[in-house]
Amino acid sequence: MTTATLSHTHRRHRWRLTFQRYLGLTLNIFPPFIYILLLFYVPMGMMFLISFWKSGYMTLEPIFTLDNYITFFTSPIYLKTLYNTFIIATGAMILLVIIGYPIAYYLARMGPKYTYLILFLLIIPVEINFLIRIFAWKIALGGNGVINSFLMQLGVIQEPLKFLLYSKTAVMIVLIHEWLPYVVIPIFLSLRGIPQSVIEAARDLGSSRYDIFRHILLPLSVPGLFASMVLVYIPMLGEFAVPALVGGPSGYMLGNVIESQFLSAGNWGLGSAIGFILLAITLVLVALVIKIAGVEELL
Amino acid sequence: MPESTPGLEVRNLTKRFGNIVAVNDVSFEIASGEFFSLLGPSGSGKTTMLRMIGGLETPDAGDIFLEGKKITFLPPEKRDVNIVFQNYALFPHLNVYDNVAFGPRRRKWPEDKIRREVTALLEMVHLSGYEEKYPRQLSGGEKQRVALIRALILKPKLLLLDEPLGALDLKIRQALQLELANIQYEVGITFIYVTHDQSEALTMADRIAVMNKGRILQVGTPKEIYEHPVNRFVANFIGNTNLFEGVVKEIAGQDVKVDVPGLMELWGIASENHVAQLRIGQRIAVSVRPEKMRLSRVKPQKPGYNLVQGVVDDLIYLGVSTEFLVRLPNDQVVRVFAQNISREDELWSITWDEPVWVYWRPERSLVLADEAPT
Repeated sequence: MTTATLSHTHRRHRWRLTFQRYLGLTLNIFPPFIYILLLFYVPMGMMFLISFWKSGYMTLEPIFTLDNYITFFTSPIYLKTLYNTFIIATGAMILLVIIGYPIAYYLARMGPKYTYLILFLLIIPVEINFLIRIFAWKIALGGNGVINSFLMQLGVIQEPLKFLLYSKTAVMIVLIHEWLPYVVIPIFLSLRGIPQSVIEAARDLGSSRYDIFRHILLPLSVPGLFASMVLVYIPMLGEFAVPALVGGPSGYMLGNVIESQFLSAGNWGLGSAIGFILLAITLVLVALVIKIAGVEELL
Repeated sequence: MPESTPGLEVRNLTKRFGNIVAVNDVSFEIASGEFFSLLGPSGSGKTTMLRMIGGLETPDAGDIFLEGKKITFLPPEKRDVNIVFQNYALFPHLNVYDNVAFGPRRRKWPEDKIRREVTALLEMVHLSGYEEKYPRQLSGGEKQRVALIRALILKPKLLLLDEPLGALDLKIRQALQLELANIQYEVGITFIYVTHDQSEALTMADRIAVMNKGRILQVGTPKEIYEHPVNRFVANFIGNTNLFEGVVKEIAGQDVKVDVPGLMELWGIASENHVAQLRIGQRIAVSVRPEKMRLSRVKPQKPGYNLVQGVVDDLIYLGVSTEFLVRLPNDQVVRVFAQNISREDELWSITWDEPVWVYWRPERSLVLADEAPT
């Protein structure tokens, strides 16, 4: 009897403690939670709902339908754009790693004096307004642009290179410029975290320079590599401003389709559906990266 | 001890970092199979020395010979020398097996040979079954064992160990000291062991080189270094000692009479090399180890002994022995160790503020040079 009462009060006491702690935590995160809920998840939920509504030019009826999704997956133009989006983002990502890794590598091996100077120089272009940056690229890549005039002056080419502007190439060039620091910095940080003594131990055990790169530096920088991929590849998939300004018809990306469905075609249902298709693909990719790299390595 | 072709010979080695001379014109020889210790305080140049022998630093002057072959400028991957690093430097992305197999794989050993060797070595250091574990899952002592066999598997002619036990706590350190000494005996590889811990060097090494400020002050067996330190630094660094500052009064053979102002005149001995340089009136220091001194309540009848009276300032009971701190008339406090052999011993009852006699045999006091005698 006494023990029962005791354990009962005890349990109640413990429950109250848990509740208080839970309440305290909830109150702490309440404002940001509400903020995200109201301004992010609620609109997203509404979009998700709309994507299943009957929708046409400037019309939207709350009648459940899968038409929007069917339209997307049966239209060759949309599928081609999806394919283009992947080609552009993947191509840019591969080139970003090819360009960014060596930069990160030399940054990590350099003395701290120059490391931060070069990091600073690398970040400065990103700080410039991105419209100005894109227009600067238009000037550089255009038919009468800096690059074409220069090459023609040299006599390397007779005609301006057409593929430089309004093409997939143009989109990739601008994307690479935009995202390079975000690729370099995570790789740089993971490379810099490798203790000198680990590299020395590898040398001591008979590693050539290539062995050290292949068996020590590369595997130990994989977390940084994956982090940069998550950080960069996913936003590139959703890009719309860059393809809109320098992509032309062949550099059209899914982001542009979504934008036009909302702003010019007035088909919110289809726009929402495409938005969620892109989101689903992105989530699958993130899940894949996390599965390969392990969550703890990314955080 | 060095044979006709020494295992390792270091000749006039010098290394500067900017204005700092880390290693200053150092020469020594190590016999094959020897357990050699470089002992010195931090900043004495011992790690730089080790890194030059391992090929991780390039000397500014001098040469290094491994079994008669000059290796001064060979890159580390080309020398028959391996290093056990201070912080283990295990590869965090590889498990224990792959860590140990790292060196053999770079040398393209067949996998079945690698498997045999790794298994045997893991067994030797009592880590069988740890193959799949990652460094972050190991304790400090386990990491150290892996680091050791990772370097040993290549069967180098010389193994360099840079304070390998520095980060471990006392019990594990003591256990590993014995294990290391046994392993060295078993594999017969020459070890150079860098440490700042004199007891570690005394426990394990066949010979010790005491370093300070980029120079080797003395090379000898633990006994030689402890019993016959060549100068004040060595005497102070290895074990405890009592130093008396004084002036040379008289020289008779190797016996030297020293006047310690305000205290006493005492007799000590100087080494043969040193005695030739001594002059009457020269300022010198005399070192007497605490365990070589005796205590007595009544004035001891020991003709020829050095004898002085003092007051017990403090005493520390240590179980096997008692450490007395005795204040002498010149206000200098000397340390005296006494074995706690019997409770009937008169020392048993000595306590604070009691006047006592401190006495020791003249040959227990060593007359020291300030610098290494040449």
